[in-house]
Amino acid sequence: MDKVFWVTCPECSGRFFCDMELRNSGYELICPFCQNEFLDEESPEIEE
Amino acid sequence: MSRDLRAFVSQVKQELPSDYVSVSRKVRPTKFEVTALLETLTQAGHFPMVEFTNTEDAHGNDVDIPIISNVFASRERCALALGHDPNKHKIELSLEYARLAEQAIAPQVMASTQAPVKQVVLQGDKVDVGTLPVVKHYEMDLSPVFTMALAMKDPDTGAYDVSFIKGFYKNDPRKLGISIHSPHLERMLDRYEERGEAAPAVFILGHHPAFYLGALALSPYDSDDYSTIGSFMREALRLTPSTTWGEDFMVPADAEIIVEGEIPPGVREVVDPFGEVTRHYQAQCLRQSMHVTALTRRNEACLQDIFSGHEGHWNLGGIPKEGSVFNAVNARVGNVTAVHMPHSGVCRLACYVAIDKKKEGDGKVAALAALLESWTFQAVVVVDSDIDVFNEKEVVWALLTMVDPQRDITYVRNMSTTFTTAMGHNKVVIDATKPLDRAFPTRFRVPPEAMENIRLDEWIDNWNGRKVV
Repeated sequence: MDKVFWVTCPECSGRFFCDMELRNSGYELICPFCQNEFLDEESPEIEE
Repeated sequence: MSRDLRAFVSQVKQELPSDYVSVSRKVRPTKFEVTALLETLTQAGHFPMVEFTNTEDAHGNDVDIPIISNVFASRERCALALGHDPNKHKIELSLEYARLAEQAIAPQVMASTQAPVKQVVLQGDKVDVGTLPVVKHYEMDLSPVFTMALAMKDPDTGAYDVSFIKGFYKNDPRKLGISIHSPHLERMLDRYEERGEAAPAVFILGHHPAFYLGALALSPYDSDDYSTIGSFMREALRLTPSTTWGEDFMVPADAEIIVEGEIPPGVREVVDPFGEVTRHYQAQCLRQSMHVTALTRRNEACLQDIFSGHEGHWNLGGIPKEGSVFNAVNARVGNVTAVHMPHSGVCRLACYVAIDKKKEGDGKVAALAALLESWTFQAVVVVDSDIDVFNEKEVVWALLTMVDPQRDITYVRNMSTTFTTAMGHNKVVIDATKPLDRAFPTRFRVPPEAMENIRLDEWIDNWNGRKVV
């Protein structure tokens, strides 16, 4: 079972979740609502 | 005439006319108008094959490429696709599928100049996958997604594998993010990665449904899917040289649309979320990237799509599996009468097995045997043969009246699984058969000889054409 974490897009405040392999990975996440690209550490809140 | 998607649409219109509807009003696939209509039909209890004839591409431009969806959303249509009697769409269909999976018909090669899928050929800078009417399905999806099958070729054996995967449109004319989670394709990718070579791959975005059903057969890794698919098509699959690699990589000649490309080793793209078969979103993750080299299609091509997490998507899991589970469990216990993977378990998570129970304990043996037949099963329920496993109301009745939780429910811990559910790596098997080791009530019935004498139109006044609640 994959572990996930929720992030909030700093641009549009949209919330979505990611596989734990992307946590602190250096890959920019892509917001599915506004296509903004950001690092997980830029998320205003992270739910694990 | 060779079997292709258009031939199947014509067959459905003729033989199952209530199974087909068309939408000529313009739809915007990236604005959820395709899936909103399909969801509305589903919520109203309708599952027809739907052809959207007036579409626009990912750029918002009108495009002369219809979308066909819900092709697999009824077992009757799947039976028709396999040349099987649509009225025998329960376990008979699954067993016929298992029989076809054991056979093969070698493909037939035809020249590119004769291949329908080469009527339009675009290469290099002329390629733009955004000119296709790719569908965005759910509100948290990362992007519009191609939902059909990808073909790859083993670099050592030359055998082809065809599996369903997702292709994420990345706002780039010649790049897709692709999410491969098929064991055979993953193994092929590993072989190319070990060599440091790009893997050739082609998306097949529309073909006769027997093509896709055949691609799902549980064949050995080194077998050639193009030959296995021929068994399901009941004729040799017609192949033609690809535009990018020529005869080194053959593609289905009767496909609607083919996107050719290479998967470079070591390159990863961010893909997902996407509304998946379990009705949850797949979490955003890293997967492969595909650099598109060519796009070929018919003059009057249509794009096929799967309404993920719905009946058609589920049937693609259940029909190919039920027959092999039946045969495997029957080989062990010898008294299986039916197997069904219900829609409530997305045709992946749950399996119902009916047996002709001979002695106490048969149910648990059958349940454990079934559990080993698929890593997707989270729950297996075994019932007596007088329960119709395709009628979930009867299965739940057996669960509620036959099961002693202390004895009949077995929890299996730490067993690998595929999907993310709250059960994690744990499974449950339930013996819901009638106990044979103690006195127990029997299920009532109206005498069969009395039932056989009843014809409603003969007994009820003005029955024909009458609506009764």
